[in-house]
Amino acid sequence: MTTEFSDDVAEDYKRALEDLTMNSRYEISNLTVIARENTEHALAISEALKSHIKQTSPQKKLPAFYVLDSVIKNVGTPYTIFLSRGLYSTFMEAYALVDNSVRRKMDEMLKTWKEPVPGALDTRPVFPRDVTGPIENALIKARTSAIQAQQEHTRSQQQILGRGRPGPSPAPYRETPTPPNAYRQPPPVQQGYNSNYPQQQYPSAMNGQQYGQQPHVQQSYGLPPVSRPSSGKFDYTNQDQRPPTQNYIPHNASAGSWQQPPPQQGYSAHDNSIDELNSDIANLITVFKTDFALNPLDGNIQKRLKALLDLQSIMQSQRLPPQQISEIKTQVAKLSEASKATPKAPKSPTPAPVPAQLPQQNSLSSLLGPGGQGTLAALLAKQTPPIQTRSPQPALNQPFKPPPVSMAPTPVPDTGSLFEKLLAAGIISGKPAISTPTPNIPLPANISGYRPPFTPNPSRTPLGEIPNDVVLKTSSLKILYEKLGAPCTQCGRRFQSNEEGKKKKTAHMDWHFRVHQRMTEAEKRGQHRSWYVDELDWIKSREVEGDQNTSNGDKTNGSGVTSSSITSKPKLQYLPVPDDPALASSTCPICTEKFEMKWLDEAQEFVWMDAKKINQRIYHISCYEDVNKAGIKRDTPEPVLGKRKHEVTTPTGCRIGKSNKAQDDNIAVRSKIKTESY
Amino acid sequence: MNIPGLGQAAPAATFSAPTIQAAVAVHDLQANSEWRFEVAYGQSIEVKILSGTAEIFGTELAVNHTYTFRGTKSSIFTWHGCRIEVNGPCEEYMAEETPMITYVNTHFALEKLRDDAIQNGGEGPRVLVVGPNNAGKTSLVKLLTAYATRMGRQPMVINTDSREALLSIPGTLTATPFASIIDVEHGWGSSPTSGPSPVPVKLPLCYYYGLASPEDDTKLYKPILTRLALAAASRLADDPVIRGTGMIIDTPGVISQGKGGYDLISHIVSEFSVNTILVLGSERLHSEMQRRFSAYKTRSGEAITLVKLDKSGGCVDRDDTFMQQMQEAAIREYFFGDPKRTLSPHTQQVNFDDATIYKIHEGGEEDSQQVGLYENVEPSSMMLHCLLAVMYASTRDSQETVRDASVMGFVYVAEVDEKKRRLKILAPLNTRITDRPMIWGSWPETTVSLI
Repeated sequence: MTTEFSDDVAEDYKRALEDLTMNSRYEISNLTVIARENTEHALAISEALKSHIKQTSPQKKLPAFYVLDSVIKNVGTPYTIFLSRGLYSTFMEAYALVDNSVRRKMDEMLKTWKEPVPGALDTRPVFPRDVTGPIENALIKARTSAIQAQQEHTRSQQQILGRGRPGPSPAPYRETPTPPNAYRQPPPVQQGYNSNYPQQQYPSAMNGQQYGQQPHVQQSYGLPPVSRPSSGKFDYTNQDQRPPTQNYIPHNASAGSWQQPPPQQGYSAHDNSIDELNSDIANLITVFKTDFALNPLDGNIQKRLKALLDLQSIMQSQRLPPQQISEIKTQVAKLSEASKATPKAPKSPTPAPVPAQLPQQNSLSSLLGPGGQGTLAALLAKQTPPIQTRSPQPALNQPFKPPPVSMAPTPVPDTGSLFEKLLAAGIISGKPAISTPTPNIPLPANISGYRPPFTPNPSRTPLGEIPNDVVLKTSSLKILYEKLGAPCTQCGRRFQSNEEGKKKKTAHMDWHFRVHQRMTEAEKRGQHRSWYVDELDWIKSREVEGDQNTSNGDKTNGSGVTSSSITSKPKLQYLPVPDDPALASSTCPICTEKFEMKWLDEAQEFVWMDAKKINQRIYHISCYEDVNKAGIKRDTPEPVLGKRKHEVTTPTGCRIGKSNKAQDDNIAVRSKIKTESY
Repeated sequence: MNIPGLGQAAPAATFSAPTIQAAVAVHDLQANSEWRFEVAYGQSIEVKILSGTAEIFGTELAVNHTYTFRGTKSSIFTWHGCRIEVNGPCEEYMAEETPMITYVNTHFALEKLRDDAIQNGGEGPRVLVVGPNNAGKTSLVKLLTAYATRMGRQPMVINTDSREALLSIPGTLTATPFASIIDVEHGWGSSPTSGPSPVPVKLPLCYYYGLASPEDDTKLYKPILTRLALAAASRLADDPVIRGTGMIIDTPGVISQGKGGYDLISHIVSEFSVNTILVLGSERLHSEMQRRFSAYKTRSGEAITLVKLDKSGGCVDRDDTFMQQMQEAAIREYFFGDPKRTLSPHTQQVNFDDATIYKIHEGGEEDSQQVGLYENVEPSSMMLHCLLAVMYASTRDSQETVRDASVMGFVYVAEVDEKKRRLKILAPLNTRITDRPMIWGSWPETTVSLI
């Protein structure tokens, strides 16, 4: 299948990618649509995308990654499979070359890959764990060694400066981002994080001022760490895993006092409260953003969010008189009270671990002091692939620019699903359930005029005799055409023109309609090839025309195949095997046995027979009924009761689920019980 | 770019070629004529019947419904004349002379036998189609199947050709009852998936032979055929509708071309109790069949009806490249579905120690007698990009049991890590494969990486 045509598609795609210089939502969704429409060339497209990511200049890598992200989230397989291959090198090589703001975006993207696609029914992560795992490990490893290197580096610095004060400091993260009396916390970093959200603007003059001072510090430190390869592996965000980073604090604190503090960073009495206020505001912003993400149409949230963001920039750019600050404070306190009152979790759910890291970044960047950062920036530019750096200085490289990223990966699925819905709607509306008359089939006319050539069939050499005419009669041909009713408009199938045939046809059209409906659902959920049936099941199964089958009402299978055991027991109850691996290995709380997985043609999926979900737990129906029959009433069955039930459920005299050894014997018993309850 | 003489025209042309929509063509087909077309792999055309009636290998097409064809050599026949609209690049021509009348007569003759069978409670005809490669055997089987289902019958279609799969992957021998319309766009259609299908899926029973030609290892081929026949016969015994319709058996071309092959035909005839043999496009084969089976009686005492049929002028030789592409397409379709319905296969890691893999001997028959049917092998990098058939058997079963077991599915070896002793396999669905022996055959050949 990989033909020149695929190559052409890939070539096309590559060109389109090359034109993608910035994070344009339109272009990205366009590229996603192209990928969706050309799944048969998925391999070629995936390769093109991967090689583009590898080859393109660092500033174009992020948009390309967003294309990748959008494709895997909106189109899914086969792209997931193709792109997961070599994802490690694609990701890591790019990661090594891009600057820090991009890195953080990549980190976030990676995080979303470990979660299910937002809004999808499928609970599996975007990429399987064995794909994201190695990348994560590599990043963590890089961070750890970076921290170690940084420590060493710092220590040597301290020695050089004669200021080494390796005392412990309150490094663990607290709600207030800055340790009391420490170097003043610059909130911009936190903002920098926030700016990953699409609607957030980049901050703030403060960054600029701060960074503006870095060169001095760097000079005064006289760092030569470029020669030390490991020092490139800085990472701040994982500080919490590494208590030694506490060392930075004294050092940086001293550095902070040693250097000229920026004008707005005085050590005035209300500094702490400003810090607190800042962090409160930042927290609130996070909360509102979450809300906003959940209800993008809610104008109130939008307004508040904007107000908060404005407030934040004011707080950062100006020094306000104390009374104003206290006013703001009360306002903020009120707001945060209100936001806490709302059921929504105050933490942003989107990138779960990030909020925890936030203050770390804050304190670190401040603690490290501009010097550290400056050095880092220099180092990062020279990195070689395996060295991974992550640093919280998004604004460092482009402090005043609005973010080039106007779209975070998360919103993309929305457009995608909307598109899908529209498409689905179109499809459904395009396929009416009622058969439309087909007047333009000129059958009667044609037939009357049709004289089949009565050619004798010369090639027959009857050894035995096929008792049939050697010529074709019109009447014979009519059996295949006119004698049957008008064909189905969807598939051309004809039915007998008698009553039964008409019924069949109506059912058949219903079947088409339902299949179309289910297909759109199934597309979202993801489908897969089933195992073939085994010999016995196959011999027992019966071909039932899908259309007949649907007359049973709830049976909307597309197979037209029904197992005899099912037709004879129409009330058979089952549960589709959960996709969630944790659930999939669950056991019946009553008998503690696993559920038996079985392919059910009728449902067209693997199911647990005799299983039912009751109050979030899955039971064997037979167990559940036994238990309930036994007279114990409970609305929410609990495992405790289930255990107690074991004694009750064993009319056969066996103790069920007591030990693993006993279980083998009990399987026979259990299956007996289940069979009886059919 | 377009300045003449700069030599830039060529790349531009190749670049735009596939995207240029060939102008929509409308053809008027006379009654009893056929429009034959070939679409290369990687390209697609859209065909719409504007009026009249039309059928593809016996399956009637819906009017005003757009059919998409990719990578196929096919034809649209009309009994009554029709007008079709074609959109896309393809090789095409119109043919007036077709053996369709002979074919449809054969169908009606079989119908007569089926009617008789139903009246007497007996078995419908077991029809064997033989003929050299590229004589149109599979097309004839498809045609007879389609006509039978149109008349409300349920034929059991048996494929004994491991080179080309029926609803499965090449290398398999299958039995499939057909009760519903054949998917004209995708060969025979699709085997079951977890989701709904726009054309009713068919349920094949698969056995794995794993070699391209039956003559490569008749010691393996014959018992598998026997097993297949047994299963099919059991189904017929159980299922009155199929019993009344009988079987239609497709064969590999190679067994119609030589002495060893004729023995295999005899084997098939006896195992499936064949009572009708359709010989397609070969005088010599016909006389050979006559010699062999004129005095032959089936187990139930029926004589064999031998019918010689002409090969259709539309039969084209399919070269190795095309066959290769067809094979790849079948494998891809198995894991990834078709453009209309994407499937999501899953990768999983399997430790070497957890995998029981049998390799089919290829050395020849003497070998297999001494060493057994299969060789139990440890995974190795040789296996990379190969397909393994997962069998409905236990790893503790004997090799004969494994051979006779039906196929559960296929996995594709995506990576072999000999250091960590781990295999990465692509499986159609996300369930662990435990305690299932896997067979590693040399067919289908996979030369390209699937993922």
